[in-house]
Formats: sequence, C-alpha cells, structure tokens
Amino acid sequence: MIHEEENREAGFLRPLVNAYSTLPLHGITAIPGKISGALMVADAIEDAVPLIHGPIGCSFQRKINPFRPYLPFYETPCTDMNDLEVVYGGEDKLRMGIKETFEKYHPNLIVVITTCASDLIGDDFKAVIEEVKAKGDMDCEVVYTTGDFTEKSKPVGYQDALYAIADQMLCKGMENERTDKNDGSVNIVTFPIHGAGLKVEEMASVLKEMGIEINKVCFDHTRVEDLYDLPKAELTITDYPMAWARLMKKRMDVDYFATVRLEEYRDSRDAELLSPYGIEGSARVFLEIAKRLDKEGEAEDVIERRKKEANERLSEVRKELEGKKVAYTGMGGLHSLEVMLLQDMGMKASVIIYNTRGLERLLSEDAIQEVLDITLEWARKYGSDPEVLVNPTTEGEIKAMKRTETDLAVVSSLTNAVYEFNKEGIRTFNPLDFMLHHQRIGFECPVELAFQLKDALKKPKTRNPLLCMLEYDTCRTNLIPHWAKLADMFAILREGAIGDMDRAAYLK
Amino acid sequence: MNEVVKTREGLTYDPTQDCKLVGAARALGGIKDAVTIVHARPGCHCGVLLLRALGSNQNDIRIVGSGFRAQDMVYGAEGRLAAAIRLSYNNFKPSLIAVLNCSAPAIMGDDVEGVVLSMKEEIPAEIFSLSTGGYEGPAWIGYEETLTELTRFMHNHDKKERDSVNIIGFKMDEIKAYSDLLEIERMLNSQEITVNAVLTNSSFDELKNAPRASLNIVFGGDGLECAKIMQEKFDMPYVVTPYPFGLNNSIEFLECVTKSLNKEINQEFITAEKNRIKERIERIFLFLQGIYDMSVAVIGDGARAFDLAKFLSDELCLNVKVLAITSRNLISRDKNENNGDYFETLLLEPDRFEMDEEIKSKGVEMIFGSSMEKKLAYELGAPLVRISYPVIDEVSISDAAYAGFRGTPHLIEKIVNSVINNYTEV
Repeated sequence: MIHEEENREAGFLRPLVNAYSTLPLHGITAIPGKISGALMVADAIEDAVPLIHGPIGCSFQRKINPFRPYLPFYETPCTDMNDLEVVYGGEDKLRMGIKETFEKYHPNLIVVITTCASDLIGDDFKAVIEEVKAKGDMDCEVVYTTGDFTEKSKPVGYQDALYAIADQMLCKGMENERTDKNDGSVNIVTFPIHGAGLKVEEMASVLKEMGIEINKVCFDHTRVEDLYDLPKAELTITDYPMAWARLMKKRMDVDYFATVRLEEYRDSRDAELLSPYGIEGSARVFLEIAKRLDKEGEAEDVIERRKKEANERLSEVRKELEGKKVAYTGMGGLHSLEVMLLQDMGMKASVIIYNTRGLERLLSEDAIQEVLDITLEWARKYGSDPEVLVNPTTEGEIKAMKRTETDLAVVSSLTNAVYEFNKEGIRTFNPLDFMLHHQRIGFECPVELAFQLKDALKKPKTRNPLLCMLEYDTCRTNLIPHWAKLADMFAILREGAIGDMDRAAYLK
Repeated sequence: MNEVVKTREGLTYDPTQDCKLVGAARALGGIKDAVTIVHARPGCHCGVLLLRALGSNQNDIRIVGSGFRAQDMVYGAEGRLAAAIRLSYNNFKPSLIAVLNCSAPAIMGDDVEGVVLSMKEEIPAEIFSLSTGGYEGPAWIGYEETLTELTRFMHNHDKKERDSVNIIGFKMDEIKAYSDLLEIERMLNSQEITVNAVLTNSSFDELKNAPRASLNIVFGGDGLECAKIMQEKFDMPYVVTPYPFGLNNSIEFLECVTKSLNKEINQEFITAEKNRIKERIERIFLFLQGIYDMSVAVIGDGARAFDLAKFLSDELCLNVKVLAITSRNLISRDKNENNGDYFETLLLEPDRFEMDEEIKSKGVEMIFGSSMEKKLAYELGAPLVRISYPVIDEVSISDAAYAGFRGTPHLIEKIVNSVINNYTEV
C-alpha cells in the first residue's frame, strides 16, 4: 500500500491521486461492487490474501481499484469458477483453492470473497471453511465475506469484510471468555479510502497527553496479529458508524465511537455532530472520547492548551482571511470545509451552490431540504447572508460571484466548471484536494487550511484554460453532455421502484 | 524452437486475462454508434466502465448498467433492463443496442431474449443480447462471439469493391490504437488499398456493409471465426497478418495483404520507409548498441505479443527471456509451433503468481506489458513499457503510433527512453 508521506506528497503522490479524483464514478455513473470493498480490506492487511470464489472476470476486472484507480489490487487469486461448477457446485474448488492459496502465498489470513455466481448457486462457504480448518494442516486463518452480513451499511464490501473478520476470527467463541484488556486504551480505525485518513499522529498525540493509550491504529501496516489485539482496547474510534465495531461491543465489550456521529444526529438533529473538523469540532470529539474513558478532567486542560496554541498560530494567517467572501457548494457539513471556513477562518459565505441532481433520486425532498437548511443555518450563524443557488448554470454561478464580489470559490472540478470561473478572473480553491490529503480531526488541520487559503487568494490568474474549449452539460456543469447522460441514466435506473414494478406493466 | 512452454499448474488462478463480458464489451466499444448495456450487478458495470474511462476515450463511453440491485436477485431485473434499453435509445439514439447478460441474471434465468424481443417493436434500433456470464469463458471467447454475432447483420454485396479491405481484430481501447490505425491506413493507402470497415472501429452501418470489401485482414488471429463465417456467407477471402510492430512485421503485413489481393507491392514506398527508419535509428545507434541483448519479458495477448516479441528479438536484438501470452486466440498454438525461435520460455495463459516467479527467476531487465505489471516491474527495478491491454495509467492522444513504419522509430524511442529515464537515484 502506498502511504502519503509528508515529504513525498507534494511532489509525487498528491498529483497522482488528484489526477484520478475527478472521475465521475461513485454514485454518479456507477457503483463499485462488494468485491472491490472487500479487496480494500484484504489489501490493507499486510499478511492477508484474498481468494475470490468465482469466475476469472470477478478477479481480473476487480484488479482495477475503483477507490484508488492508480493503485491496482495486484494479487487477486480466484477459484476460476466455470459452467461446470455453476451446475454441480463450487465447494470442491473452494476447498482445494483455500489449501492451494495457503501453500502458494503463505498468508496468515485468507479472505474468501464470494461472487454473484457462488452466492446464487448456494455453495456452503461456512461448511467448507470449517472443514478445511478442522483438518489442521494450515497455519492460517480463513474468513469469508458475502456482502450479506451487514445489510445496508455502506460501502457494503468493506463493511462486510471487516464484520466477517470480527465475527469469524476476533470474536469467535469469545462470548464467555475474558480478554486481557489494555485499560484506558483506544483503537483508531480509519477508512483507507480517505486519503488523509491515516494522518492520525496528532490525534494519537492529543489522546496520549490526556492519558489515553493507543492500542492499535488501523490500517497502517496492519498485520493479522494486530487485529487480534483490537479487543484489548476499551474503545474503538472510527470515522463512520461501522457494523463490525458494533459487533465488537456486543461480543467483546469494546465500546465504539464514530467521529461523524450520524447515529446521534438522527435523534438530536444537532448538525454540529456531523462536522468533527476544525478547532471546535476536534475539541468536541476529543472531549467526547475522554468522557467515554472517564478522562474528562485531564482532557479539558489538554484541549484548552492545544486550542490556544492552534489559535495563536491561526490568528496570524486569519488576519488575511477574515471577512473575505467565499462561495462554496453546500453539503450540510458532511465531508465539508464550510464550518472551518466560517468559524476558524472568519470568512463570509457570499454564495452557496447547491446541486441536487442525482440526489433527487436517492434522497427524499425533505432530506435534500434538510441538508440545504444545515448549510444555510451555519452560514447565518456565523454572520453571513449568502445568495443560495439551487442547480444553477455556470453563468448563473459566475454572475452571483461577481455580484457579491466573491474573493474565492471553494469548488472542485468534480462538481463545478472551475476553469470557467478562472477564465472570468475568479480564483478557486480545490476542496477535494484538501479533503483527500489534509482533512482530519485535530487542531493542526485548520492551520494548514488557513495557509492554503492564503496562498489561493494570491494564486496567479489563469486566463485561457483549454478545458473551456469543450462543451459542457448545462445542468451537470463539470461534465460533457455524454457523461451527463450517463449520470442521468444511472440515477434513473438505480431507482428502487423499478425493481418492484410488475415487468409486464413496465414493458408496456 | 523455443526452450520451454509452460501452462498454469495449480487450480487457483490469479488471471492475466478477463472474462467473456470484457471481450464482448471491447468488441462493441469500437462500434461508433452502439450502446452496450451491462445487465449485471453493479461491480461488473463499474469494472467495464472503469476499463474504458481510464483509457484515452473518455469522451466516448457508451456503457450503461441496467441498475441491477440486490432485491432483483429474487424478483428478476427484466423491468430494469427494459428501462435501460429505452433510456439508452432516448439518450444516445444508437443504431445498435447490445445487451450483455452477465452471471447473476444468467443464473437467475432473467428472460433477456424476451425483453429484447418485446422492446424491438418500440425501439427503432437493432437490439441483440449475448450471454456473457463470467463462468462461460475468457475474454477472447466473448470477443470472437460478438464479432460472429455482428455477421448476422451484414448485407451481402455481389459486387466487391476492388482493393478494398476490412480490418478484423482491431481494438480501439488498446494504447495507441487511434494512431496505430492512422498509420495502418496510410500504409494500405500507399499500396492503393482502401479500408472499408474496421471490426471494430466503424459505425454499425459500415459494419453491415463490410461484405462490400474484397478482403478481410485478420490481425494476429483475433476475430478469425468472424472472418471464416464471412468467407462462407459472403464469399470473402481473409488473410491473417502479423500486428505490424517493427520493420519486418510491417513489410510482412503489406506483403500478405497485397499478395491476397493479387497486387504488386509498392517497393518504392517500402524502400523510402526503410530509409526513413535507418536515418532515425542512426541518430541513437550508440544507445541501440548499448541495450543490445538486454533481457526482456513480453506479456500480452496472442494477437500482438508474438509479433512484438519477434520485433524485439529479430530487429532490436533484445533477449526475450519470457513471452507470456495472457489471452490466446484460435491460432496462438500454431504460432508457437511454427515460429517459436525468438523467445526462451513461453507461458500460455499463466497464473500471475507463477508468471511473476518465472520472470523474476530469469534476470529480466525490462518488461513489455500492461498496467498490471507495474508492481512486478517495480520489484525488479525494471522499466515497464505499457503496450498491452489494459493500460490504465498512461494516455495516448497524439498521432505517434507504435505500429507500422512510422511507429517503429516511436516504439524504439519509447524503449530507449524507458531505459535511460529509469535511473532513480540522483
């Protein structure tokens, strides 16, 4: 796995990652299947090997990693299921395949990933694996993931593979066993899809200063033996609610805490819970973790001191940002920089752009309105009175930015025609780049953001972007019409109702 | 004769080739006014879309998923497929809609044929379906079956156009495909031969009129079944030619074609091209002497890798330690038996693990392969020339070909630069 080391990031990896970041794929024109998510897990464990129980295409095609297209999954052995197995069953091939995979790769864990073909023919994966393991001639763990363990938790393959490891390996037969605990310690488990997810040094440092020990950080050169140490912690910190973490709580008494607190938000509708970033967001997260471990007393002092240090550093740069007018796309806090822009930088929201196309088929009208309301309320809370543009054209966006004398548009090419803004003299800052490479919980992150925003305000102007030569869709303004059609069709065809309709009626 | 021929040993297979679906999708991708519907769970659609989108045809993705969801595994997804056909037509107004029926709906028994039939009344475009379950075979089978299916739509022309040819087995998603085709057409034009249709890089209408040509050229054997059917149905002869990598393959290509058309070859053109190549290599002859006898591995499909290896061995005098044929075709075995003296070890459809071990054991200093060989090249510290499918980490939008006379200096340039650019320590 390639890790983004600080010294290499600007020169090599960052542009590489960015080159693939505008691919309009995830939920826009396609959805990666469960195998890709499961392969992310197997790939993140250094001494694990996947075994795809299915035909060659499920192996070869999935070598292309949709989450990180620049980094294929190089090892994807499969059982090479053909039509004979589809008729007579593939259990023999799976049995032999597991043994052969062990002999060939000598892993400490084999993650069997089932496929459409093996799922549908009803192979008894569990029985095969138990039988192979019972023979005792393999010094290796074997788990299987079908995508069915975690229901609608997304991404399915990723959630399901982690759940399978917890269920079939870490928690197996442990319900009545007492695990040696590393008292007062936490696991930090981040989603390896998120570029900056592995940057947890500051979080670990703050927690340690509070008297909280770090049991394990996953997935960072993680090996199977590290996974076995996970139940020793008192608390697992994840970035999103994870089914496997819930299972660990139920079976192994390891509590969990998701930094993006979707579950709590559902009850309280407190939008702050969706934004763990920035100085106040990070402080809230650290305090909450401390509370769970009865370390509030120690935590308050540490947090206050760290906040003070960060604010002192920030105040110098903030002078140049305060009051500057920014336009941005509203996402209701999730993944978003907006709270940091308003709260930490003291910038003013001049224009909020809200693109609902595609969302309309995934979310209810109320849900879409809720996200818009969160964005708008935040802006107002911090003293802004922005223009709100819902599904605007590029021309509409430019007019609004000029009218409001916007200093900086915080938009990416994944959502907007950035080059058209530049052509009109509007400077831009790429939030996607920041999200992929910098955004994380901690007090350093807003300081980094401040420096980058300061640079963006001074960036030389680009006047004649070649990308402006192309014709773009009037609605999905970052896409050429061809891709916009694919996106529109994808949204319609994925709609739940289609599958439930009577075929005959549909064919009319 | 080569030293060793090896095939896969174990049962598990880390494949170096894709499944039938991708072979079919690649063939259909070259029909300029066709839409391909991948009737499958989202992973298959996403995979095929990615393969296309990560190449150099980002403005021409005509791949639609049927939106197949988990609940459809119980109730069927025929309604979704019908909607996909309708939407595809309404959005793209294609001449052809091809439905690729993949593993899940094929095992479940979705009546894809029934949906296609019922939609034909409503949709003014040709629609057909192909069974492309992953378990049904590798990509080359899907490719052959798709080209064969296309012959059903072809019209017979009693009067053939003199010195007009079709090219079969050309894949528009290969690296440098666009520029290669330009060069190949230039070479044919130099012999006063015109290209009628390219299977596949033509409109559906052009394909339907493919029998108008007087000869089918089959590149490296890909699409041979289609050529045989066209011979039978339309009385069209065919000739299997090498993929024109390098000087000799280019000359052989033109000789095969002109001979089949009973034409005199334009020697003046060949002499001029030879001189041009000579002048170019003279400029870097010291480097070519320097890399003489360098040990290399060539990894690629049967239609191109044999010919590339032959060029590297015969003309650049590199030592082809390993030739790995990732995906064969109907003549791959013949090629080995008849001509196998330009490589040391031949691997036929190898397992990736076993292939990597073999290459690592041979002291290979340069790899010719796909993006999937990046890790192997990195581990060996050897340069990787991306020339085989799939290439997902290099783009090609210039007119600089790898094939043909004009492609020869460019390919040599690429090889030499890969060696002398590769030194990473500073």
